[in-house]
This record gives sequence, C-alpha cells and structure tokens, in this order.
Amino acid sequence: MTARRIVVTSGKGGVGKTTTTANLGAALALRGKRVVLVDADIGLRNLDLVLGVEKRIVFDLVEVVEGRCQLRQALVRDKRFGESLAILPAAQTREKTAVTELQFADVVNNLAAMCDYVLIDSPAGIEHGFRNAIAGAAEAIVVCTPEVSAIRDADRVIGKLQERGLPMRLIVNRVRPEMVRTGEMMSVEDVCDILSAELLGIVPDDPEVIDTTNRGVPLVLDPAQRLGAIYTKIARRLEGEIIPFTQLGTGGFFGRLFEALRAG
Amino acid sequence: METQRVVNEPIESPQIEIHAPAAPVDTQKKAKTRGRAIVVTSGKGGVGKTTTTANLGVALAARGARVVLIDADVGLRNLDLVLGLESRVRFHVLDVLEGRTTLADALVRDKRVPSLYLLAAAQNREKDDVATDAMLALVEQLRGDFDYVLIDSPAGIEMGFKNAIAGADEAIVVCTPEVAAVRDVDRVVGLLGNRINAQLVVNRIRPALVRKGKMLSVQDVNAILRLPLLGVLGDAPDVIVSTNRGEPVALDEASATGAAYRAIAARIAGEDVAAPQASEPEGFLDKLGSFFGGRR
Repeated sequence: MTARRIVVTSGKGGVGKTTTTANLGAALALRGKRVVLVDADIGLRNLDLVLGVEKRIVFDLVEVVEGRCQLRQALVRDKRFGESLAILPAAQTREKTAVTELQFADVVNNLAAMCDYVLIDSPAGIEHGFRNAIAGAAEAIVVCTPEVSAIRDADRVIGKLQERGLPMRLIVNRVRPEMVRTGEMMSVEDVCDILSAELLGIVPDDPEVIDTTNRGVPLVLDPAQRLGAIYTKIARRLEGEIIPFTQLGTGGFFGRLFEALRAG
Repeated sequence: METQRVVNEPIESPQIEIHAPAAPVDTQKKAKTRGRAIVVTSGKGGVGKTTTTANLGVALAARGARVVLIDADVGLRNLDLVLGLESRVRFHVLDVLEGRTTLADALVRDKRVPSLYLLAAAQNREKDDVATDAMLALVEQLRGDFDYVLIDSPAGIEMGFKNAIAGADEAIVVCTPEVAAVRDVDRVVGLLGNRINAQLVVNRIRPALVRKGKMLSVQDVNAILRLPLLGVLGDAPDVIVSTNRGEPVALDEASATGAAYRAIAARIAGEDVAAPQASEPEGFLDKLGSFFGGRR
C-alpha cells in the first residue's frame, strides 16, 4: 500500500488549514479509506484539539524522529472512525528545527506504507515548519479566504510549491455569498483567476464551525452541520469523482438561501 | 525620585549602556523621549494581528502621537495592504539593515494621518535573513524618533517571531474565542517571558453566539490566559471590507469596531477609559431564527 501524500497549506494563518485537514481526513475515513493526519505545527499544535483527542496523546512526531518510540506507538486513533483515522501529533514544547526536512519526509514515507492517505497539516508561514511539511508531500491543497492578504500569501506559497514541482489545488474557504453579491467580497472566480489555480472546493463561512472545533467534533460527524456534506464532496473530488461546483451568490434571497445550503 | 531612577538606571542594568550615547547629558534626554516599542503577536495566524497593528497605529497617530509600524512578516508581508500603502513601498527593512538605503528613505508616510509611518517587510526574502541583533538596533533607533514603535509579528514562534519580539518591551497579544487560539496565545505568553509586559485584545467575539453557549466568552478566554484586558472587538464584516480596500476602520467615525480601536489606543496612551466590549446588532438571520422558534 502506498498512500497519497498531501500537504494542506496556505501561507497565511487562520484561514482554515487545520479545520480542512481534520474534516477532509474524517470525510475520507468515513468513505472507508485509511487516513493518517500529521500535525507539522511543532510548538503550536492544534490538530489534536480539532479532533478532540488531545488527552490521549502519549508520544509525538519529534519523539518518533529521535527514536524514543515506534511510529505506531505515536499514532493516536480516533475511535469514532474505527481503524480508519489516526493522527500523528506534533510536539508542543519543542522547536520546529528539532526535525529536519529529510527526517520529516522519512516519517511521511513510513506512514504512506500503512494507509491510503497521509494528510499533512502545515503551520502558517514559509519558514522551517512549512519546508518540513512539504518535504514528504507529493501533492498540495492550498486553502485561501477571499481576502487580499490571504491571496497574496497563497500566491507566494504556490510559487514555492511550483519550485518543488508539487501539483496543487485550491479550496476557497469562508465565502460569504451575500457579501460577494454586494461586491464587498471577492468571488471564488476572482480568487481562482488571480492565483490561476484549479479549484477543489468552496466552503461558505459558518460561525458554528468555531463551536464544533472547540468541542473537537469533526463536521462530517455532526448531522446538524451543513458543512459536513461539503467536505464529503471535496473528499469525493479528491478521489477523482467529477462533482460540479455550486455557483454561490446569484439569484434572489431564497435562491441564495438554497445555494448556501447546498454549496460546495 | 523620577530623576534619581533615570540616573541610576545604567548602574542597575548595565545592558542599557550598549544603546546609550556616550554623553551622559544625552542619555538623560533620550531616556525621557524614548518611544514605546510594542509587539503585536498571537502564535496562531489569522486572528487579527495585522488589522490590530494597522488600526492601533492609525488611532494612536490620530491622537497626535508619532507612530511607526514595522512589518516583521518577511516573505508574507500584508501590513502595507491593510494600510492601503502597497503601491508606495519602495524599500523594506532588509534594504535598511543591509545598507542599501537610509531609514528615512524606507519609511512610507501615511497621507491620511501624517504622523503615521510604515516600514515594510521584504517580500522576496526569508525571515532567517534578518539578524535578531540588527532588528533590535533598528527598533532602538526608531524609539529615539517616535512615540510608538508597533511591530506586527508573523504567525508562529519561529525566527520571524523571535525577531519581532527582540526589540519590544511590551506586547499586545491578540486572541479569538477559539480553543486553538487560546492554546497558541498561552504558549506565546510563556515565550515572551518576564521581560515583555503583555496585554490582551480579544478579537471576533459574537455576543449572540456567546449567549447561546456556542462561543467562548471573554471571561472563558481570560480564565486561562489571565492577562490585563485592553479591549474586546466584535466580529464585524466591515473589517474584511476595510482590509480589502486598505482603509483601516479606525478612520471611520461611524464604525463600532473603529470606535473600539480608538478606545484601546486611548488606553494604551494611558487614558482612563473603560475597555471596549463587543456588541453586535442582531443580524437578519438571528431574527429569522427567533421568528421560526429560535432554531439557530
């Protein structure tokens, strides 16, 4: 078994990398894939919180690299997904420079031998932590919000991914169709045009994501969350299915309400 | 008493002498006029560091203070965009540090608030290219000329963060009501140590969600962080619009968020005003929700 190795990155922080990694991973796991999520944000880990497994961490990535435990021992299984979803946590009290790019790639390759997908949650920025996160990846998902600062940072990151020859696709996150319609927010088309990137998904802004994140419940497990269906669609696209994108931000009020409900 | 303290300072803390000019008369004069160096940081990205830096800079300058904003996010600069000054940036921090231009030439003056200046970050360089000592010396130099030096830190706790905090002795930490942000801020406050005095800004509060128990309250956040609270900002869509347009909301007399930033600036300046609290008008969907039985 050799897994697809995908890094989730953005340049700018707070655009939804960790939320995307957790929910795409969960959606793929629900579809029967074996998924390992790697938290590359050494010193500022959060992927464990978003999945609600923070109390079950025993070992971390740095301890694996330093040979203080086996790779399998450091994996924390998310029991809600049976054997399908596991996370390799980052160390919280170490520096990103504790792991080299080569060591990071080695860990990712070892994980790839035991599952279908390795999703790597990159830290913000383009420093050592970012270089580690992309070191073991063969593909990239760039997360961007419709803001000039996020687009500028994504553009810089896409340049760095191209230098590495990593193919990438884009998720436009936190779209507010009503603001796009009034011209107060850039449209998804605008963002894709500026970045000349292939689109993988559109995720509307939903303040309730914060609540599920705080509670450690992946959106795909919460039937009350409309965003769960959107991440499932993105997971299916990742698997090669052709699923049309919903156009956001056209039509009257009820049209918009309807579109917001089936976006993605 | 005040004079005594200043006179004694070089003896009690010898490291001060490194940056002080040779003449003792000058030392005293500098000590009186030396501006405050404040780093705006958070650990987590996207919580509002750059927006806060820009708006507090605008609000402090509008009060008559001389303010310089330093973008410490080498390679991923954005402060110029948020201020709407991107087309006027000709030189950046590394041009100054590497001697290609003078500090005076690299400072971009804001047209709307003439006592506000920006020192932009290099976009095509790496954070590791900046030496921490050089950054510290630069901040020291600017403190001689300005009342406030605000440093916009990058996300994370790598080299860029270390450079950003090097010259500061105060910090404004920005946190959103999310468990992940609280954890990151807590880590950053630990790294700031005792040398840097930290105060808290809680950003993007939605009072309606807090009331429903679907968002951490300011009290929840600060029960963990236990920092002096400078102020609370609501989650207002006009902030995204103002960022995209390069017009900080602090300039907008009609904006509630702008008023909150002005109040925080007054508090930083030492005025005895209450910490602003977030309030949001009930949104259309909230009303719709309560009309249909409060499902949302």
